[in-house]
Amino acid sequence: MRLNEILVINTNDYQDDYGQQSSWIEIFNASYGTVDIGGCYISDDPSNLRKYQIPGGDVLTKIKPRQHVIFWADNQPFRGTFHVNFDLMGAEEIIFTKGDGKSIIDRIRIPSALKDSTMANKSYGRIEDGEGSIDGNGDGWEMLERTSASTNNAMVDKTAKPNRMKEMDPYGWMMAVLAMTVVFTALIILYFLFKQISRIYTRPTSRAEGTKAATPAAVAATKPSSDDEVNAAIVAALEMWMESNLLHDEESFVLTITPSRSAWNDKHELLTKLPQMKK
Amino acid sequence: MDKILENLQTFWSFTGFANFTTDYLIMIGFGLIFLYLGIKKDWEPMLLVPIGFGILIGNIPLFQGLNVGVYEEGSVLNILYQGVQRGFYPPLIFLGIGAMTDFSALISNPKLFLIGAAAQFGIFGAYAISLAFGFDPAQAGAIGIIGGADGPTAIFLSSRLAPDMMGAIAVSAYSYMALVPVIQPPIMRLLTTKKERLIRMKAPRQVSHTEKVLFPIIGFLLTAFIVPSGIPLLGMLFFGNLLKESGVTKRLANTASGPLIDIVTILIGVTVGASTQADQFLQTRSIWIFIIGACSFLIATFAGVLFVKIFNIFLKEGNKINPLIGNAGVSAVPDAARVSQNVGREYDPTNYLMMHAMGPNVAGVIGSAVAAGILLGFLG
Repeated sequence: MRLNEILVINTNDYQDDYGQQSSWIEIFNASYGTVDIGGCYISDDPSNLRKYQIPGGDVLTKIKPRQHVIFWADNQPFRGTFHVNFDLMGAEEIIFTKGDGKSIIDRIRIPSALKDSTMANKSYGRIEDGEGSIDGNGDGWEMLERTSASTNNAMVDKTAKPNRMKEMDPYGWMMAVLAMTVVFTALIILYFLFKQISRIYTRPTSRAEGTKAATPAAVAATKPSSDDEVNAAIVAALEMWMESNLLHDEESFVLTITPSRSAWNDKHELLTKLPQMKK
Repeated sequence: MDKILENLQTFWSFTGFANFTTDYLIMIGFGLIFLYLGIKKDWEPMLLVPIGFGILIGNIPLFQGLNVGVYEEGSVLNILYQGVQRGFYPPLIFLGIGAMTDFSALISNPKLFLIGAAAQFGIFGAYAISLAFGFDPAQAGAIGIIGGADGPTAIFLSSRLAPDMMGAIAVSAYSYMALVPVIQPPIMRLLTTKKERLIRMKAPRQVSHTEKVLFPIIGFLLTAFIVPSGIPLLGMLFFGNLLKESGVTKRLANTASGPLIDIVTILIGVTVGASTQADQFLQTRSIWIFIIGACSFLIATFAGVLFVKIFNIFLKEGNKINPLIGNAGVSAVPDAARVSQNVGREYDPTNYLMMHAMGPNVAGVIGSAVAAGILLGFLG
């Protein structure tokens, strides 16, 4: 969760449910999961982080992913969950704290210029939602051109990525080169890794072959013959058939045939006692 | 009597006949062709039969508000279609594919990985062609993925990049996958000499259990770190393979590669077919999607075979690769590998290429999932 935007002097900006215009604080859920902020604290006093506790058990405090929530800094907490017990005219800083009342999630110093009457209805916020500092120094914050309570500070164009790509690469060659480089890189790394792994696993055999390689007969024996190919093909076909019929229950190159039960070999059938005449 | 006639008239307005247009007839014709190819010609029946019947289901003319159509929110078909729309069927299919795929051919000869990478040129060639024909980059990416020859990947990507074109893209991808035995052989013959077609490759070595277990773990970690957007597909593919190869989760592997993949294949086939409603499907751009889709398969086959020929220049005698397995770099498993085998045997009946071709074939599955992740990262 991030403090995302604040407005101090509100004369003709957003109104609360009571039709009142007052200072507001926007909090943004920067994560991709729902977050319940019930129990957390908002304060304007570094020496009293527990100044206003957001009530727990309110379904409205469950903030959906990438969504915003507005708190009215009107010093009228009895008006509901989203009305805090201080106002921003007298505040130097806003601090958002976890439910333990100690761990600060985010804080922002309020620029004194924002309290000037010429700055009425101007908001101060993060340039990009959720981006920037969380230690109060205001990195990534600026006076926004327009207020944006409960919505994105910067306009998000959903088609931005494809459009940017169209401008940069109208014929698709850059994408082709870039993407093929990535595909090749991924598979070349796999190739090298498994080449090394295969060396580890084939080393004993190679050494053994190396000692035999002195004789021409041994060299001839290592060459694959037509029979080897036929055998390999038969094994491959058998394996595929057994795989498809779920008969092959062990690893490759080991043929196992799972016995099937029938009335002819069933243990119970075979153990059936023959009728015997009582003596 | 008037009341009866009035009711009959109302009933008539509810029937498919009253809402019938020639567009629906054309689509029903497509459905019947799919069924014919699947049942009579045995071309990918597991896909074409569900899709073909799905096309029939989706093209019964309905009046608005009956709440049975695939695009009507809350209808039964719409609920089943969510798996396609939200993209959770494709990863489940990948789980099954992983659980039934043996990567031994690839592990025993890792250089075959590179053929699987080369064949992905089809995707990006089709991307460039689509841009040239005026599609926007997101649509072009969705069309390009047809060249990966992988139905679930095509559905997964198009559901995110161009949901309105998903029906045409999915049908095109599955159609060309069924047509692999027709499309690829002429290109393979065109690009290879007789001498090259007779190359015999070394028999694959035995792959140990440890290597097989390591493969999905290393494969996943590496590819997912490079292309995190491909995690749904790559994660499920490698997880399925680990279930198979670990040797201790046989029941799970059997379920993933059997009942689960069968159920999802039925659902994905029928709902994709049903999504091709005449009013959504019969558009000029669908024809372009089919034409560009065909080009992507041709480019992929070209790239795979040519890559092997170039690669062979750098390989020592005895280690050379038969370029007839280059086509298998597209991920139509195992059809593309079968094509390699059949074409190879035309020239040397004792040369068995199937087991070698399975290497690039399964590498193509990984390659196309990585390519989909890249497109999603750039355009999503």
